[in-house]
Amino acid sequence: MKPVRARTPYLLVLPAFALFAFVVLGPVLANTALSFADWSGTNAIKFVGFSNFTRAFRDDIYLMAYRNTFIYIALTLVFEVLVGLVLAGLVTARGRKTGFYRVAFFIPVILPMLVIAVLWSFVYSDDIGLINGALRGVGLDSLTRVWLGDPSTALIAVSLVSGWIYAGFYMAIFYAALTRIPNHVIEAATLDGATESQIFFRIKVPMIRPMIEVAILLCVTGAFQTFDLFYVMTNGGPDHATEIVTTYLVEVVFRFHDLGYGAALSTIMTAVVVTIGLVLVRLRGKDGGNGVEF
Amino acid sequence: MSSKTVANSKTVANPDAAQRGLVTRFIGSRAVYHTIMIGFSIIFVVPMLWMVMSSFKTKREIFGSPFSLPKSLDFSVWTEAWERGNLGQYVLNSFFVTFVSVLAILVCSLFAAYAFSRFEFRFKNVLLGLFVLGLLLPVQSYLTAQSRLFDALYILDTRWALIIPYSGLGLALAVFLLKTYMDSLPKELFEAARMDGAGDMRILFSVVTPLMVPGIATVAIFSVLATWNEFLLSILYVVDDSLRTIPAGLLAFTGKYSTDYPTLFAALSIITIPMIAIYVVFHRQVIAGVTEGSVK
Repeated sequence: MKPVRARTPYLLVLPAFALFAFVVLGPVLANTALSFADWSGTNAIKFVGFSNFTRAFRDDIYLMAYRNTFIYIALTLVFEVLVGLVLAGLVTARGRKTGFYRVAFFIPVILPMLVIAVLWSFVYSDDIGLINGALRGVGLDSLTRVWLGDPSTALIAVSLVSGWIYAGFYMAIFYAALTRIPNHVIEAATLDGATESQIFFRIKVPMIRPMIEVAILLCVTGAFQTFDLFYVMTNGGPDHATEIVTTYLVEVVFRFHDLGYGAALSTIMTAVVVTIGLVLVRLRGKDGGNGVEF
Repeated sequence: MSSKTVANSKTVANPDAAQRGLVTRFIGSRAVYHTIMIGFSIIFVVPMLWMVMSSFKTKREIFGSPFSLPKSLDFSVWTEAWERGNLGQYVLNSFFVTFVSVLAILVCSLFAAYAFSRFEFRFKNVLLGLFVLGLLLPVQSYLTAQSRLFDALYILDTRWALIIPYSGLGLALAVFLLKTYMDSLPKELFEAARMDGAGDMRILFSVVTPLMVPGIATVAIFSVLATWNEFLLSILYVVDDSLRTIPAGLLAFTGKYSTDYPTLFAALSIITIPMIAIYVVFHRQVIAGVTEGSVK
């Protein structure tokens, strides 16, 4: 459609664009420039070329943060997406009244992450914690431990909370997709003697495959941005066992005031997230939803 | 591969179909099904129940008998937590920040979406592409520069320190979603309005906006939740306690009363229960809003 006045569309876009440019685009450009500088925020900005980047690749904590982030991604694919798929399968089993469960499983998604992080720190806590309390209650005292203070359990413990929050979210996505499968498909399978679980794994899951791929994309790119849970529950500890890219970044910038280095760390992170996102989108597109497992 | 397994399972399934039927009927029975589902529900609900119950207990009871019911429902801990913790101030701040941010998001994105959806103009695709870029980039990827910029402009530690970034961050998705919804409105509608002599803004306000109410509601729900719950910027950009929103305020609260468990649990319950209540009433819209906002 042609506007009555030629400048109308520009005026319409202007407020949104101005705000967006101020909050996102400007900082993105400035951040990229800052990656090549050394700056504490108060002294003069010094251009240092690529040294922030070479430093990053030799920074053991930063590399460890990537390792932890990837472990976290792998765990959340199971605890969030896979569990979400199973829950969606359960709540769409035919002839069931499941509204209550669907509403209940989604509750953690709407709550502030901070509340959940604090609550679960207590659930895992050594002395008042529910988990240790339950273990003691059934006489398994030897299994009790400081879940978030033990490097061997801390990362899994935080990932489980992440699953507790988002499994309901992925269930809701899959539920919406599953209920769009035409009834006659399921009826035909039932007539052929397929059981409920066969129908789920052989018919329903393949049919909602595009949605599962979207979920994986959301889960992986979202995992990179996770901050709240880790910051509140462990703040990267013990001994960097739960240090992830974002917690380390915030520490470098806001505690060590190493702004140039922090900017470089986020530039690298942006490159990694965008690359992974593009690869996943490519994988989806190329095979038209056939045969690719990721 | 899949065709082979299907064939196999058919030949296996048929001979003992009767037995299989029994097994599936058992697993599929009402009792077992609901046992599984109640098991899952317990995992979801128990931590929250424990939180609320513990707020009515003494410290000693929380340690000694974590699973017992509280002896009485004494709300004095709740009022004490509310007053000592300054929770009312945090709630007010959250309301203010959320209201202004979401209003800004809705107005700006509705205008922009209208332009992108209905008009052809130069740089349209470049501008749209930039918004899509904003969808991809996590806030951490430009946080360092953003915090310096806000500092240089004396925005930090004011209400604007949260309202401006929340509006700007929420815009990309809102523009994109509203444009998608608007694209699906029939063309004839606009042509007819134009024939009747309506100008561009008149069409937006009298024709488009009323039809977009469901889409606007989705964006509003999504934006309200994101803004209300945002944590990272709220702790980094605001230090003044009287300006803190709920997440940052609660974090300060847990620092102050780190071992006063009943008070802590009371504070968490006060914040959580109203949210759950509102959610339960509007659960259909909330679930649809959140999932559509993320998937589209």
